[in-house]
Amino acid sequence: MGKKQCVAMLLAGGKGSRLYSLTKSLAKPAIPFGGKYRIIDFTLSNCSNSGIETVGVLTQYQPLVLNSYIGIGSAWDLDRVNGGVTVLPPYSESSEVKWYTGTASAIYQNQNYLSQYDPEYVLILSGDHIYKMNYEEMLEYHINKQADASISVIQVGWEEASRFGIMNTNKDMDIIEFEEKPQHPKNNLASMGIYIFKWKVLKELLEEDNLNKNSSHDFGKDIIPLLIEQKKKVVAYPFKGYWKDVGTVQSLWEANMDLLDDNSELNISDYNWRIYTVNPNHPPQYISSDAHVRESMVNEGCIISGDLEKSIVFQGVTVGKGTIIRSSVIMPDAKIGNDVYIEKAIVPSDITIPDGMVIKPEKDLDEVVLVTEEMVNEMIS
Amino acid sequence: MKRSMLGIIDATTHLEDLEELTAHRTLAALPIGGRYRLIDFVLSNMVNSGIGSVAIFPKYQYRSLMDHLGSGKNWDLDRKRDGLFFFPASISDSNTNGIGSFNHFAANIDYFHRSKQEYALVANCFTVFNMNFNPVLERHLASGCDITEVTNNGNSLEVYLIKKSKLINLIDSRDATGYTCMKDVVLDINNQLKICEYEYNGYAEKIDSISSYYRVSKDILKSNVWNQLFIKERPIFTKVKDEPPTRYTSTGEVKNSMIANGCFIEGDINNSIISRAVKVGKGSSLKNCIIMQKCTIGENCQLDSVILDKDVIVESGTVMIGTANSPFVVRKGTVQGALMNS
Repeated sequence: MGKKQCVAMLLAGGKGSRLYSLTKSLAKPAIPFGGKYRIIDFTLSNCSNSGIETVGVLTQYQPLVLNSYIGIGSAWDLDRVNGGVTVLPPYSESSEVKWYTGTASAIYQNQNYLSQYDPEYVLILSGDHIYKMNYEEMLEYHINKQADASISVIQVGWEEASRFGIMNTNKDMDIIEFEEKPQHPKNNLASMGIYIFKWKVLKELLEEDNLNKNSSHDFGKDIIPLLIEQKKKVVAYPFKGYWKDVGTVQSLWEANMDLLDDNSELNISDYNWRIYTVNPNHPPQYISSDAHVRESMVNEGCIISGDLEKSIVFQGVTVGKGTIIRSSVIMPDAKIGNDVYIEKAIVPSDITIPDGMVIKPEKDLDEVVLVTEEMVNEMIS
Repeated sequence: MKRSMLGIIDATTHLEDLEELTAHRTLAALPIGGRYRLIDFVLSNMVNSGIGSVAIFPKYQYRSLMDHLGSGKNWDLDRKRDGLFFFPASISDSNTNGIGSFNHFAANIDYFHRSKQEYALVANCFTVFNMNFNPVLERHLASGCDITEVTNNGNSLEVYLIKKSKLINLIDSRDATGYTCMKDVVLDINNQLKICEYEYNGYAEKIDSISSYYRVSKDILKSNVWNQLFIKERPIFTKVKDEPPTRYTSTGEVKNSMIANGCFIEGDINNSIISRAVKVGKGSSLKNCIIMQKCTIGENCQLDSVILDKDVIVESGTVMIGTANSPFVVRKGTVQGALMNS
């Protein structure tokens, strides 16, 4: 394999337990998003558009759909002769499978993969977030600052700062302190979980961390503090733009609704930064004479005979006559019957919603409804 | 042993009646159905019928056809063995009046000799249909025919099934027999061959004029036609484009229309087919239109029975009215202004 300047390692093994039934048989990065995509499409497209063509994707939880979805990476232009995308599941060495116990151990266990390319820099990413970013620019910043590690940070609202890993920096953007979910944050620069390391430096740290039995082998909790402790040059790379963690039902719904907001900073229609995805084969959408579509996004293969308002409708969805869908996300191949009412809900893939069903948030709670098979069965019986 | 077919698509057809739409591109590459090109139907049918070796024989203006097909990957024909072949004709070849020019085949006879398949399905490029060709092969074998011609409502669909060795004979003996193409053979009552017909009674329409293009496009909006053309188990494949889902705004109503991805709709659309990346401005009204990819229609425009080729810009306030029998056709890449009348 040829030497590469920078290899990306995409952590896609997470369970996403706060997405409940959506992640029962599906890893979080494979969750449908934005009418056409899966969450991981954003990170993979960012790699491809940034010119980073060698990407290791570390899967673990319920990897079947994700692994076959990624395939050899053709959809993101990552099917290359030298490099390209490689799926890296946990494997057994001599006697037993060594599961990834933490984000850092996952990288540690895949040193052989990285050694093939003998990179100068390693870019650590997660497949959990919705954002567009040019990693090449971050790499240039890292190189110019002659840093050992760069951490991408974004300004968050002060009232939210306690939910994030907060970076305290000096005026040169050197990180002098790192606080995980601080009660009284000193700063509002939150870590985005995007790191660039000099591979040599990272390798040593991972070895050291591996020997530490008390470590949780996590980048944020263990590796970064170690870096700071050892007085390595760690800098913060300020990111401006849309960035959203879609780890809860509420945030997943909000991020989808953001796409319908004219003022949103997330532009998926930018031909200079396309978001690639695996394209299923469908004819164009058909909007019938009985339909009424307003302020919504609809994908191919849909047959719409009802009312859509402020909603995101994925491929292959059918919506029956007399049905009203408001402020909802309808995932791929869902079949919505006639005279159904759906408001502020996420309807999962492949589900059939029977005629006349009403789905809306409980009064006084106003929480997004995550529709499940159980709900449907209850209604039928 | 399973009998095998190879697919031949004659993409040489060039018709004066479609001049405005085929000035820049060969008929096989004519955009249709919002996201397809005309050849996608017969090509997908072949692939869905298990045919793994398909040779395309184009002649005129085939650049966009070549660009569309690429290596054949989107039709699952990017193979190590067999796959998609592309055999352009030399311009000096005279036109034949039927599908399957023997001169054209002769110039590429190696493909026939090297192919391991026993039977050849020779088809035109301009029929809109979704058909499984395996029953045709079964009938052909059972009846012992030399050539099976597929018909629809009694008319020839210009799709022929013939044993490959027999086809090679016909190609080699063309000077002696005077047959220039498959149609010549079938029409000659003295042809010494057993010609049978296979009647396909599903939807199958040829595009050979602006009016048939317009009529067939409107047909696709009908659910009984749609259900015959877009079948989950036998999808129509086409080149993949990474367009975001279509965005509908608070203005504009869309009724009885087929809309491809990447569009931004602010106006009213009725009984129309809109291809990808089309923008329709506020206050505009489109009725009975076929709008090809990347057109931009400004605000307060009125279009009725109009066909816009790719990349057309319609300035705000423009009115264009055609009729069902004679739709108003606008050439690729032009700008239509409110004050222009052509």
